[in-house]
Parts: sequence; structure tokens; C-alpha cells
Amino acid sequence: MRQTQNKAALFPFTFRDFFIFIGIFACAVELCILLRMADSSDGFASPVFVLAVLLISRFTNGYLFGTLAAILGVIGVNYIFTYPYWAFDFTLAGYPLTFLTMFGVSIITCTMTTKIKQQEHLRVEGEKEKMRANLLRSVSHDIRTPLTSIVGATSALLETEGLSEKEQRALLEEARDEAQWLIRVMENLLSITRMGDARTQLAKVPEAAEEILGEAARKFRKRFPEIQVAVSAPDELLLVPMDAILIEQVLSNLLENAATHGQTVTQIQLSVQREQAYARFAAQDNGCGIPPKELPRLFDGTLKHSETPSGDGKRNMGIGLSVCMAIVRAHGGTMEAKNLSRGAEFSFRLPLSEKESPSL
Amino acid sequence: MNIREKILIVEDEKSIAHFISTILTSNGYETIQARTGNEAMTMISSHCPDLVILDLGLPDMDGMEVLRSLRSWSSLPVVVVSARSHEHDKVAALDLGADDYLTKPFGTAELLARVRTAIRHTRTTSSSSEIAQRGTYTVGELTIDYNKHQVLVRGENVHLTLSEFRIVALLGKYAGKVLTYDYIIKELWGPRAGRDNQILRVNMANIRRKIEKNPAEPEYLFTEVGVGYRMAENE
Repeated sequence: MRQTQNKAALFPFTFRDFFIFIGIFACAVELCILLRMADSSDGFASPVFVLAVLLISRFTNGYLFGTLAAILGVIGVNYIFTYPYWAFDFTLAGYPLTFLTMFGVSIITCTMTTKIKQQEHLRVEGEKEKMRANLLRSVSHDIRTPLTSIVGATSALLETEGLSEKEQRALLEEARDEAQWLIRVMENLLSITRMGDARTQLAKVPEAAEEILGEAARKFRKRFPEIQVAVSAPDELLLVPMDAILIEQVLSNLLENAATHGQTVTQIQLSVQREQAYARFAAQDNGCGIPPKELPRLFDGTLKHSETPSGDGKRNMGIGLSVCMAIVRAHGGTMEAKNLSRGAEFSFRLPLSEKESPSL
Repeated sequence: MNIREKILIVEDEKSIAHFISTILTSNGYETIQARTGNEAMTMISSHCPDLVILDLGLPDMDGMEVLRSLRSWSSLPVVVVSARSHEHDKVAALDLGADDYLTKPFGTAELLARVRTAIRHTRTTSSSSEIAQRGTYTVGELTIDYNKHQVLVRGENVHLTLSEFRIVALLGKYAGKVLTYDYIIKELWGPRAGRDNQILRVNMANIRRKIEKNPAEPEYLFTEVGVGYRMAENE
């Protein structure tokens, strides 16, 4: 696999690389001309061009421009900067050696930089893989438990005689609640595929933060009418570049987490405000807070349900939060959680300007 | 005795068609079912239903094709039901003339509400009949006065700019229905306005600051994230 990748990127042409090549090469020629004004010997020409070849190989992708620089450099040195000036003389002593040296430098540098870039790429891929694996693990758990209750509840209904209407209803409600939980797991999975779709770059559009906040709150109220949600946004309109569907997913995950894990949550405060070059979104609840030993591992998806001391052990909070983290990171933002004097606060910050978004 | 509205359910999944049919029948609608796009087309012309619930993933053709050919000759209300949840699909279906869009899985209450709204819209929209009769549309404490080009909240004129008024007026005319960003932009600034949503976002933010108590918890102007805006409907 690496082999084919290597081949594909052997001689790539981009205008960026082309201009780097032209720039560095022009500098080398200029430097040689200036140096010759100061010193009439031409010993300096070769090293200067070797340096140019090295730099070009380092800063361009693939072998194309490095090799080109080596060939042009050899010709340039021969034509312009060695006696006889402005004429070719292939009979110069040591000429094949100069040629070979520069050619060798370019090939070796190109190979080395390509290797380094590949390793960097592999490392990023590996990290992504690890995140996916973590997610898959918690997802299969998140799916199996509710499915078990659904199958259990419906089989009990079908196979048990003489259940009272109240008992039947309770079983049906349980099955429905579990199915709804599955829907939310699925929405999180969709978010992940959505991020995978766009490859490294998300389709970001400047969105009004208050709209996304308002919608997330409205949907949450439908699902959890017993919990009060207050939304606050600044008077100033905050336009934040984002994939709105994904950020809405983050907000609903945070709201739902508060509702399902906060235990005693009756109120949630959802807010957004400007913090220098960032928009800071926060969800504060008045529940039981986050167990301190879980805090550092909250977002990496490695939290197992058995380690969650809360009574509601089957609700793995891993997937929701690690999806949040992945989404926020893909937006070039940061995320954090902390305990308040009463309850917990989850917050994340998204950059207000679009330019510096790191590739995943 | 009242005539029951007839609803055509176009859905190839038996279990889903069955569940939709059960809910609608028990809520006083008459239902007929089609399993393929072609069957749907013939049933629409022979049975003249009052509403079509259309699944997009049909075995013989894409539901979007059914919608497209239906819209070439009929304005029969169509509620699209689909497992495709990407907002592109919603936008595409709405722009093709679907009256509403439900993403699978959906609850019964949601389905019934959408069906009610869509049927009401054909019987001259509640808002459009009110606009035609009195030149106003009222929902809650908000009144849009189409003759005087004013929007009143609790009887007070809120002084919208021309663009702002035109956005509110447009959404009011189709209250209850999601209007896509592109549709609103085209209606307001013409077909060559491009696809820049930002000016619309800014206008909307200004409108909300003038008419909503809390712009982040709107009571009148709702956002359908990634799709468009919707005006609250008076029930």
C-alpha cells in the first residue's frame, strides 16, 4: 500500500511547489552573481547550488522539483559560473563528479523528506484509527444493552400470560425508551461518518451561534420536558464558522449527558459568548457533578461503564463525549469539563475566524 | 357524516407502511398504500388522494423522481419521509416542492402534526386565508400587517427595515412550512443573489432582536439547522 502511495506522489506538480522552486533558484543565481562581484574565483558556485537543491528538495513535495533543480544547477554552474563563462564546457575537470554530487544530494533529500512526511501522515492516520476503535468499542456496548432490553421487554409481553395492563405498559415504555436511546447512538455514529466524508476539511459556513443554541434547546425540551433549559446569547451577533449539524449534535450530547448522568439535574443553562478570537459555548447543570477521578479521561472514550459509580451504569457516557471532542477538534477548537460548586459545566470554544484550522 | 381525508402512503418497507397506516387510520384518515414509484404515480391519478407520504428509497425509482414528475402537474401536498438525514437531501426535496420532510426514525406525534399541517396548507393555508381576508397574519402576540408593511408585537410597531419586513412577510405567508435559505434569498434578492447565507443570517438576527423576547429562544421564527427558517403557525 505504501509502495503505491509512494509512486503516486513521486512527481507531483503544484504551483505552490513551482513558485518555491523558482524563488529559491533565483536567489541562488542572484547570490552567485553578487559573490562573483566580490570574488572572481568560482569555487563558491557549486556549494551554493547544492544548498539550493537541498532547500528545494526539502520544501517541495516529491522528487520533481528537487531533481529539476539538480539538473538545472549543474547546467547553470557549468554555463554561467565556471570558466568559460556563458558557455558550456563539458570537458571541465571534475564535471561528472559535481553533477553526481548535486544529483545525489537532491535524491537523498527528497527521499528523506518524503519519508518524514509519510511517517507524519501515518501517525495522524494511526491516531484516527485509535479514535475509531475506541468509538466502535463503546458503540457496540451502547447498542447491545438497549437491544437486550428491547428484546427482553417485547418477549416478556408476547410470552407472559396474565400481565396487568400497568405491567404491559411499563414494558412497552421501556422498549420505546431504549429504542430512542439507540436513535441517539445512531445520530452520533452519523456524525462520525459525516466527518469522515469530508476527509480532512469540514464544510464550514459562518452560522449564527444563537440559532444553533436555540434549536438544540428546542429539540431537547421535546425529549426531556421535565428539565428546564435556559439559553443565553450575547446582544452582538456571533457568526461562527462551523458545520452546524455537527455542532448541534455536540450541544445535544452535552444536554443529554447532563440529563442522563447529572442525576439530580432540573435546570440547564446553555450559553455562548465571545472570548477573544473564540466563541465559547457552555452547558451548566445543577446536578451531582462529575466524579473527580473520571475528569481526566472523560473525552477519550476509554471510560468503561463499570468504572462509572453512578447507578445508571449501562449508560456509557464515553461515546457521546468522545464524539463531541472529535467534532470540536475538527473545528480547530478545544473542549473542557469542570465541576461547579453545584453541578457540572461542559464547555467548548470554536475559533471565530476561519483561517487556521489544523488538518485532522 | 364527514368525508375522511385520503392519504397515499408510498413506502416499500412493509412494517413501516403498516405502522404509518395504523396510526393514520386510528386518527380518522383513510389510507391507501403503494410499494413502488410507478404504482404511486398510477394511484395518485386514479385515487386523487388528499396527501402523499413519500419514501425516497423506492425499489424502482428514486422518490425524488416521483416528486418531480408529480410537481409538473399537481400541487398535491407531499410529506417526504426518508432515512437520508443529510441536510442536502432535505433541501433538495423541499426545493423540488415537498411540503415537509420527516427523517426516519420519527414519532407518531410528529407524523400526525406534519400531516395535519400539510393538509391544512392545501385548504388555503390558515395564514394565506387570513392574509387574503384581513391583510394580516397573527400568531401569538405577533401581527404582520401586509397592507401597512408593518410588524406589530403586542400592538407596538417594531420598525423593521425593508429587507427585514420582506423576510418576515414571506415566512408569514408560508407559516408552518420550512423555507430553504436559497428560496428565501432568491425571493428577496433575485436569482442572481448567489448563495451567500450570511446576509440572511444577519438580517434574521436583527429581526429576532426586534421581535423575540430572547433571540436565542425564539417563539416565532425557528431555525431548521442547515436547511432554512420557519414561522410559527397559529393553531
